[in-house]
Amino acid sequence: MSPRPLAGPRLARVLAIVPYVLAHPGTTIDELADRFRVSARDIEQDLELLPFCGLPPYTADRLIDVWVDDEGAVDIRLAEYFERPLRLTPAEGVALVAAARVLLAVPGADADGPLATAVDKLEAVVGVSGRLAIDVGDAAHLTTIRDAIDAHERLELDYFSYARDEMTTRRVDPARVFHALGAWYLDAYCHRAEAERLFRVDRVQAVRPTGETFTPRAAGPGTADGGEADSDLTGLVYHPRPDDRRVVLDLPATAAWVADELPVDARADRADGSVRVTLAISEDAFLERLLLRLGADTRVVDPPEAEALRRTAAARLLDRYGA
Amino acid sequence: MSARLERLINLTATLLETRRPLTLDELADRLEPGYPDELASRRRQFERDKETLRELGVPITVEAVDSFGGDQGYRIRPEDYYLPDPGLDPAERAALHLAVTAVEVGGFDPLDALRKLGGAEGEGAGQAVAAFELTPHLGDCFDAVTRRSLLGFRYRGEVRRLEPYGILHRFGHWYVVGRDVDRDGPRAFRVDRFDGPPDLGPRGAFTVPPDVDPTDYLSSDPLTYGDDQPIPARVLIDATRASLVVGALGPDAVVEQRDDGAVVVALDVVNRDAFRAFVLDLLDHAEVLAPPELRADVVAWLTALAEAES
Repeated sequence: MSPRPLAGPRLARVLAIVPYVLAHPGTTIDELADRFRVSARDIEQDLELLPFCGLPPYTADRLIDVWVDDEGAVDIRLAEYFERPLRLTPAEGVALVAAARVLLAVPGADADGPLATAVDKLEAVVGVSGRLAIDVGDAAHLTTIRDAIDAHERLELDYFSYARDEMTTRRVDPARVFHALGAWYLDAYCHRAEAERLFRVDRVQAVRPTGETFTPRAAGPGTADGGEADSDLTGLVYHPRPDDRRVVLDLPATAAWVADELPVDARADRADGSVRVTLAISEDAFLERLLLRLGADTRVVDPPEAEALRRTAAARLLDRYGA
Repeated sequence: MSARLERLINLTATLLETRRPLTLDELADRLEPGYPDELASRRRQFERDKETLRELGVPITVEAVDSFGGDQGYRIRPEDYYLPDPGLDPAERAALHLAVTAVEVGGFDPLDALRKLGGAEGEGAGQAVAAFELTPHLGDCFDAVTRRSLLGFRYRGEVRRLEPYGILHRFGHWYVVGRDVDRDGPRAFRVDRFDGPPDLGPRGAFTVPPDVDPTDYLSSDPLTYGDDQPIPARVLIDATRASLVVGALGPDAVVEQRDDGAVVVALDVVNRDAFRAFVLDLLDHAEVLAPPELRADVVAWLTALAEAES
């Protein structure tokens, strides 16, 4: 059996187009296609369907009346019950308001511009005025970095690499900044690594414009692996590599959050709430921290070197306490 | 396909227009294209239509058609269906289009929402500058905030009841904030930590205090989460990590600057687990100086690790 075309999306479109035309009589088919991001043929098919629709007993005075003139201008009558669009679903409401609030939280956003007034109006009709807040965090160097991106200016960064637990200085050609998973990221070509790298902006300790300019790379940002530009941002951030070391841990129920917060290759939940996870780990310092933080209730299943790493790290820290 | 679509449009129009709830028999009598005569398949097709409308967010109410609790009737209350006109002008619609194309929202097609607001105006953004995910149950929490419904849910094994005042996105997580009814105090809950879907009580169940700001309900510093009696602590941070830690805690936290560049920071510990994680995260670049009780806690923790056997 061939898959049945979904009636839902088309119904949603019809329930939005009819009120629009009722409010804007004479809108052309091409304008509708552009506005609702479908083909002119789709709009025509929707309009062809409407004269069969209406209210019982489906006599001429109860069926929707659609007129399209030679120029493609559309007029709809006898559809007063569709004079307003359907309410936003809660998910649509939260997504729309949140997207607008994120942009307004970006430093430099126009707090009185059309986006600000639009979201105020939306929140008012939804009934949540001022009660959805987005915190994108402070990122002290964001403005300097964004100016450099616009001017194609090379930057020197003092950067704390969390995974390796080391402080580095490097020259980078900044391509773009974005906010994802609660942090700001800088996507840049790094001359030290001789490759494109993502930097957490909150781990940039200092940023110095160099006065040198660079030619933006033709491939565009986010294409270090020859992937598509603008593949999704969260995908850019979370990317365990195939050659990362795999570590298997038995987490007690109190530490099961690890399985939700970190990218895990595999997880097996047990009835008592404990979880066995396989994690992709690229750097020792990252693993050390995780194991130290989890404590002795977490069992390192594999590899044995990870267990040794944990013991050595704990002993090293204990030295500081003279214990 | 188009016969089903016609019936869905007609069903929506009929349920919107009726003043009283209509039974399935009445709907079957009236609607074209109609439902099958055979009762089981009639019920099945109607349930399928109802499900399609529900997925789109069309609010069908089910009511008893008489006071004897007999047949069920269906209708759509106009106030549940119609989107009040927000009165957006073209520049505002273009700004919203730009926003939804500049911000990736996982699991959400922004066009669905934009269509209801009059379609996509302008060109939109070429490149995304931010991304977030819509956590499961976030829509329910948002719905509860807009309706002022009491929100009941299981959270880390406990049942909670919250008057939800607002929604906050911080550190990449969604929180619903408000007054915890049983603990009679302000609380914030991570929505992705709910154990299953929440229950929404009747609408208009409480009054939201004036000038609520969701950001007040959750400190921007995770170290301050917790209900323990605050214990003042001092931590030595070596020179290599001093600027990092001062940047995170703020300059007011520094109580001593040492000649070698190291700093001593002071903080009130209300959550021992979070404090220990903060210190261990700095590896050998940090040392708890005081109080002895917290210092001993870290030493005991590390000793257990140093002696652990697989």
